[in-house]
Amino acid sequence: MDLSSAPEFTVVGADWQELPDAVEDNLMVINMGPQHPSTHGVLRMVLTLDGENVHDCQPVIGYLHTGIEKNLEYRPWTQGVTFVTRMDYLSPMFNELAFCLAVEKLLGITDDVPERAQTLRVLMTELNRVSSHLVAIGTGGMELGALSAMLYGFREREHILDLFEFVTGLRMNHAWIRPGGVSVDVPDGFEGRVRTVIAELRDRFGELNDLLTDNPIWIERNTGIGKLTADQCFDYGITGPVLRSVGVAHDLRRSAPYCGIDSYDFDVVTETAGDSYARYVVRMRELEQSLRIAEQAVDRLSPGPVMVADKKIAWPAQLALGPDGLGNAKEYIQKIMGESMEALIHHFKLVTEGFVVPQGTVYAAVESPRGELGAHATSNGTNKPYRVHMRDPSFVHIGALPALAKGLQVADIIAAVASMDPVMGGVDR
Amino acid sequence: MTDHPRMQVPDVSAQEKLNQIEASVSITLDQRTQRVRDRLASAFRLLTLEEFRGELTAVTTPNELLALLQFCKTDPELACELLTDVTGVHWPGGTREHRAQETTGWPTYSVEDEGRIDVLYILLSVTHGHRLRVRVSVPDDAAEVPSAVEVYRSASMLEREVFDLMGVQFAGHPRLERLFMPEDWVGHPLRKDYPLGGVAVQYKGATVPPPDERQY
Repeated sequence: MDLSSAPEFTVVGADWQELPDAVEDNLMVINMGPQHPSTHGVLRMVLTLDGENVHDCQPVIGYLHTGIEKNLEYRPWTQGVTFVTRMDYLSPMFNELAFCLAVEKLLGITDDVPERAQTLRVLMTELNRVSSHLVAIGTGGMELGALSAMLYGFREREHILDLFEFVTGLRMNHAWIRPGGVSVDVPDGFEGRVRTVIAELRDRFGELNDLLTDNPIWIERNTGIGKLTADQCFDYGITGPVLRSVGVAHDLRRSAPYCGIDSYDFDVVTETAGDSYARYVVRMRELEQSLRIAEQAVDRLSPGPVMVADKKIAWPAQLALGPDGLGNAKEYIQKIMGESMEALIHHFKLVTEGFVVPQGTVYAAVESPRGELGAHATSNGTNKPYRVHMRDPSFVHIGALPALAKGLQVADIIAAVASMDPVMGGVDR
Repeated sequence: MTDHPRMQVPDVSAQEKLNQIEASVSITLDQRTQRVRDRLASAFRLLTLEEFRGELTAVTTPNELLALLQFCKTDPELACELLTDVTGVHWPGGTREHRAQETTGWPTYSVEDEGRIDVLYILLSVTHGHRLRVRVSVPDDAAEVPSAVEVYRSASMLEREVFDLMGVQFAGHPRLERLFMPEDWVGHPLRKDYPLGGVAVQYKGATVPPPDERQY
């Protein structure tokens, strides 16, 4: 879009009437964002408007670009988890899982990851899906003026973040899933807490449902807005709830299962309308499916290791909670510092150098709350990634905004963008 | 909650699609890969097919790239509806240390390389559930690949990212502009000859060098 020759107007107050008279073809280019309460973070859109009608909508991104992929190339593989978890900040568990699955695939240890670690990964990611969808629905409501939806959504999400904090020590950016397993086993009393939270959330989802699903304003604002067809979705590479809202039952948990998730009993939720409302309904129904999986995962938890047996890969996981936070357990420190010099050398080498990963290129993907989240990892046979590319669904979905926004009114763009649920941390990386 | 009238899915076509997808999932990954392999080998005789960790990579040239992508999209056997990812890997020129794979002891040997950029396209078939990677290599001082936007619209954003960060020109792309970096940025940050930058961290009596200068 060449705007260099277009006249510029700075409307300051009293000159509103002069503006439409001065514009020849009735088309105005208006900037929206990046600092805007309803652009879902720092998304900037350059809108070409005819009155209230949108002719064109060009997304401008990059405001959260942090160079994570470049940074990964200078640290050992395990430290990469600390970076990728910060990309899509609403689904940190999925980022970690996608990256770790890619590293495990390169190492060829996909089948060696212990059962308990796999179950815990499934449990935590599905809980993460619930918390992410709650934010999507909550902020989506807020952006359309339903402030109580946001309050309810965030209140429920808090239960899950408390659980995450209980296990990993952090509410976000956990770096808990590691190549080969998970960094630390869950504390005592975890199963009971998860069951309580699941029961409570079931109850609370009813409230959120009562608040929005039959709400006439919610229906009016969302029905028929941002409609996509299945062909458009395929063309723009759209996956996840948005693809399922047009009636395509595509879910990587079924078609390319990871961590044994295909052995759990759950439904792939679809709708057919393909509009904002259908996407809301898909997310709302997926909440229940994720809780189902989480419940089964808790039932399956049986004692066992949470890290691969290979000591050359397994990051020391003998952690314990001390007065100053999570750290190496006293007995473990006792062993490496007082008893076994070999164990100390091994610990030191593994923690500073990491492990060597065979050369090759792999792609591992998980079904994140927003769609296919993939990690494309290339190793040149050293202890650091040669190149890692993260395929983030939000980024690809942003590309469909021009198609989504065409013909809408300005106020409807808010609803359409909110229903796509892009997370800018994932878009920009 | 799911028995709510607005939350019902009586749609038949979606269910049919689901059944179709489920049927293909029952085929194992190996069989799927083999099927894709056979189909591609019969359609493109000069195509090199590589397999690593169960993933199939078709190595092609910039000239044949679009024909291959078009074939993958339209052929009912392959039916790759989605272009999920485009990315690049930069291999700068010069002498490189190689580690032999699948051997014990990791012997290294050095090779002389022309600088190149691998551009990788990852395709996904929703109907059949398989994945396919297409790779083209171009010299890094004249990296140009035809744009796949005409075949897959999702390539528009993905190629812009590769252009911005790796400096690959996609001929025929409607809007090949900077995406993450500012418009007036010089250089392409994900190339290997582009420095990471950073400062040393000082502690009492010692410093930790910046990440790109650390020795481990």
